[in-house]
Amino acid sequence: MIEVEGLTKRYGSTVAVDDLSFSVAPGTVTGFLGPNGAGKSTTLRAILGLVRPDTGTTTVLGKAYRNLERPISQVGALLETFDAHPGRSGRNHLRVLAAAARIPTPRVDELLALVELTDSARRRAKGYSLGMRQRLGLAAALLGDPEVLILDEPANGLDPQGIRWLRDLLRARARDGGTVLISSHVLAEVAQTVDEVVIIHRGKLIQHAAMAEVEAMAAGSTIVRSPDSDRLAVLLTQAGVDVDSRKDGRLTVAAPPERVGEIAAANGVVLHELTTERATLEEVFLQLTAPEESE
Amino acid sequence: MSALVSAEFLKFRTTRAWIGFLLAAVALTAIAAAGTVGTARDDQLGTAQLSRDIVSTSLFTALIALMIGIMSVTAEWRHGTVTRTFLVTPRRERVLIAKELWVALLAAALAVLAIVLVLAIAVPWLAVEGSSLKLDGGVAGLVGRIVIASVLWGTLGVGVGAVVQSQTFALVGAVIWIIVVEALIIALLRLVDLDGVGEYLPGRALSSFDGTEEGGLTTWAAGAVSLAWVIALGLLGYVRMSRQDVT
Repeated sequence: MIEVEGLTKRYGSTVAVDDLSFSVAPGTVTGFLGPNGAGKSTTLRAILGLVRPDTGTTTVLGKAYRNLERPISQVGALLETFDAHPGRSGRNHLRVLAAAARIPTPRVDELLALVELTDSARRRAKGYSLGMRQRLGLAAALLGDPEVLILDEPANGLDPQGIRWLRDLLRARARDGGTVLISSHVLAEVAQTVDEVVIIHRGKLIQHAAMAEVEAMAAGSTIVRSPDSDRLAVLLTQAGVDVDSRKDGRLTVAAPPERVGEIAAANGVVLHELTTERATLEEVFLQLTAPEESE
Repeated sequence: MSALVSAEFLKFRTTRAWIGFLLAAVALTAIAAAGTVGTARDDQLGTAQLSRDIVSTSLFTALIALMIGIMSVTAEWRHGTVTRTFLVTPRRERVLIAKELWVALLAAALAVLAIVLVLAIAVPWLAVEGSSLKLDGGVAGLVGRIVIASVLWGTLGVGVGAVVQSQTFALVGAVIWIIVVEALIIALLRLVDLDGVGEYLPGRALSSFDGTEEGGLTTWAAGAVSLAWVIALGLLGYVRMSRQDVT
């Protein structure tokens, strides 16, 4: 369980997060979305006790992060900045964290194997590729086997197999009753992973909805072409469906193709074309974050 | 707290910096000890003063301890590891206390190592010249003070690191403070007949305590003033760290 309540954070005259409230329930994966600079990282850092809110509160598992008894065994976090010492090996980086949190060393090797870093574990981290750094960060997040995961752009630098692996892992966590919050600036990237989305823009909450609802927004409309399009338009309107005539003589209908086809068949209207026009998730995302853009 | 101290120990020995610190401590001490023994005049051999001068060369570890203390904090900011450190231990005062304890232990160990090294150089060398160290009560007290001084310098460094945070500014600033700024302040205070106040400056107090300078305070008063500076800088460092945004 993650709760953000009236969170506001200013940096000088810039308002990074503006009276933001949302909560993430156990058993779900929630996508935390917004364009770059929307305030996602600041919000995550506030939840993790790294950034001090100007007003508002954040809690994880009912407590402020700093009051958790065994922080990394309760909450696993990955942030965008690389946080291992470049001169220390990946394995020693995890050993330091394990020592501080009283996690036994065998767990370190277990995690290195899980993120497939065993072969490079004893090399200094400065030589790691972006993907390896990301996997080391994920290993650090998972080290304490926490029930809550808070990951900032976790797919960064991962190859397609890595993204697939991460998706399965996060889904499994949520299935086991865990709470997962992952940020991204690309909706399509997390669409297959998340149950819910929290969309913010300029520090403000734009939308908190089930992923299914967002997908419904992308369901779009049906394009129909008929030699008898005027009559069809009337029939559809009578059926309570919005219809627009297009310049090319086709109709744009705000109903699924099944409905359009049924109405046409019932009235003996000939159809020459019946297609769906789908908005991409990114178009929905842009549309949601657009109204603020014009300010 | 013991887990955090052992994590600090692990941090220290899992990068290569410790090799540099150890080599610097050994080299500086060895050179200073050899120089002191080698340049001793015949009439100095066997005197308590020479024995004290020789043992005092182990004080170079105090400088190394100061650097280790500073860098134990500043390296976290320099490399961004502070983010993960605070995620593991969000109670930041615990991080700072663990660093103080760890640096105190290390500084004491370094001082003991340096004293052993100095004795290993001086005792056989003096034996060849037909002399020996005069290990009286004064020297024994000096050994104790060197160990404590090393701990004080090291923990002072932790406070400086926590207050300044920039590694370069902290390291360069500490040296400039001791060599230039304090000397300047003391000179200015003399001009206005406030000589006594200068004795309470951190570098001066520590040097009076460890015996590298003849200060106006008694040894133990200088030690108490030094400890007060360690605590004050540690608290100031905590105040800065506790409210700070880590981005």
